[in-house]
Amino acid sequence: MNIIELNHVDFRWQNTADLTLAIDNLAIKRGQKVLLNGDSGSGKSTLLSLLTGINKPEKGSIKILGVEITALSNAKMDNFRADHIGYIFQQFNLIPYLSVVENVLLSCRFSKKRARSTLKEDVTQAHALLSQLDIGSHLFDRNITQLSIGQQQRVAAARALIGAPQIIIADEPCSALDPANSQRFIELLMRECEQQQSTLILVSHDESLSAGFDYQLALSQINLASQLS
Amino acid sequence: MNSVMYLAWRSLSSRRSSTVLTILTIAISVLLLLGVERMRTQAKQSFANTISGTDLIVGARAGQINLLLYAVFRLGNPTQNISWQSYQKIAADPKVAWTVPISLGDSHRGFRVLGTNTDYFKYYRHGSKQLLAFSQGGEFENMFGAVVGAQVAKKLGYSVGQKIIIAHGISDQSFNRHKNSPFKITGILAATGTSVDHTVHVTLEAIEAIHRSGKPAVNMSKQAQKEKYRPSQITAFLLGAHSKMKIFVLQRQISTTKIEPLSAILPGVALQELWSIMSIAEQALFVVTVFVVIAGMLGMLSTLLISLQSRRREIAILRALGARATYIVALILTETVFLTGIGIIVGAALLYLLIGVFAPMVRSQYGLSLELSMFSSSELYMLLYVQLIAIVVGVIPAISVYRQSLTDGITVRAY
Repeated sequence: MNIIELNHVDFRWQNTADLTLAIDNLAIKRGQKVLLNGDSGSGKSTLLSLLTGINKPEKGSIKILGVEITALSNAKMDNFRADHIGYIFQQFNLIPYLSVVENVLLSCRFSKKRARSTLKEDVTQAHALLSQLDIGSHLFDRNITQLSIGQQQRVAAARALIGAPQIIIADEPCSALDPANSQRFIELLMRECEQQQSTLILVSHDESLSAGFDYQLALSQINLASQLS
Repeated sequence: MNSVMYLAWRSLSSRRSSTVLTILTIAISVLLLLGVERMRTQAKQSFANTISGTDLIVGARAGQINLLLYAVFRLGNPTQNISWQSYQKIAADPKVAWTVPISLGDSHRGFRVLGTNTDYFKYYRHGSKQLLAFSQGGEFENMFGAVVGAQVAKKLGYSVGQKIIIAHGISDQSFNRHKNSPFKITGILAATGTSVDHTVHVTLEAIEAIHRSGKPAVNMSKQAQKEKYRPSQITAFLLGAHSKMKIFVLQRQISTTKIEPLSAILPGVALQELWSIMSIAEQALFVVTVFVVIAGMLGMLSTLLISLQSRRREIAILRALGARATYIVALILTETVFLTGIGIIVGAALLYLLIGVFAPMVRSQYGLSLELSMFSSSELYMLLYVQLIAIVVGVIPAISVYRQSLTDGITVRAY
């Protein structure tokens, strides 16, 4: 079953003549780990903004978990994103005024689906996830500014993973990490995704990370708009 | 909703210095607003309390404010006096219950001297119809006895038994002191918060005596003294009627008397008119405090707007986690509510602290009593308005955040 399915999607930013993104067909199956390759300017950010429902395509269909998200209202889309998608940014993922655990728990605050019945259970789950991602328990209540970049990215991963959303999207999560840390981060992330059967879409311009992924997709191949220009 | 309050609180406490400064700005403007309001109402109150229980004030024909000013507040000078005969004639009217004569014109070291008789202590009432009380000593024992107000005694350090000299006219120059006639203080009045506190009271006969040439005759019987130094005229007199129904009849009768042109005024009405003149200054003061509050709000607005720029990333993260744009709006509005709410509480606490510390001093220095009372309904409304204005002001950054979060989405902009 396809967890993500794009058909004949066209998108252009406001006030621009050329299409930014034109995808004829893209399908990702449940539980797969996909590396989405693309150089800057290949339409990566645009594709991610469409997948997360921040922007809507000019035409075409985007189905996530069988739901046509282009038809959802903004508020419904926000709920949908909170319930089903965990998102990891390149860097500075965390809210500076919250502790490590509080940052992880934020996901549960926005989604009833991802929250357990009590806060205590959520905290237990957050602790477990953080431990599995190699964050020592002495760091749980620390201010996030006391963490290294690598640790911060793993906390961000824990926040994306908590409550086992069906889809994890990571946007260049290793760009600020050195190669050894990158490798370790991706291994941990994959292990957790496998464990909770989340589909992983990792965007990167670095093809050397491909080990362990089910397959790679080159955005330049999928995005017809980038081929035209 | 819970999480909005939680995040707003955490975010504010992380920006501690700007938060504290903003709260202080609001607290100080609230303090000013409440302080001025309280001064205003209590000044008005103590002003209205200066005289009560007197039905009419009678003096030479003049405007009611002029008469009120000199007869009650000891401000300014009468244009003309009343003859003793007309005073006696009105006092003898069967509708009149009591009268208290007043003779002004002399001073003692900057304080006005008021000539009267012992009826003054029997009938003059202030506040909620309270009589004057003595904190020390009592009424005049003889012609050259003096009873001083609380402020006079305090400022000049007088006590019962001390001798004082009064001066002719209001400016106290050595050449016009009535040196021949020293007065002896027989009593000191308890503080009233009215002009009585600033008055030196002496007998009518003494006033008459010191204005006649030669050394006054002291060794006479009281009755003989009264005869010898009966004043030919007085400045004004206070009057109480037997029945409230007769006040207007008396007023008309006095105003139209053929003996000499007189005015009889209703103290309550005159006080009201006088206050309405002073209320312009009072309103100006109020407008100033309103501007102070607005300045406080603008300060908060600028802090919030500045913080938003550095919070674009934080907002993008929240949006990625599924926060709606309206959630972000609620977050900013909650922050403004917190800032002003705490500002209001701190401001009110400061007010009580300051009143607690300075009320005794203000009372003794200015005769203005500030009470540690609960908030009046008008004060509560003011605080409510401050909070509402803050919410309206908070809409500005909230809208800008809303727009920002819609265009930024989850795309993270640089810090």
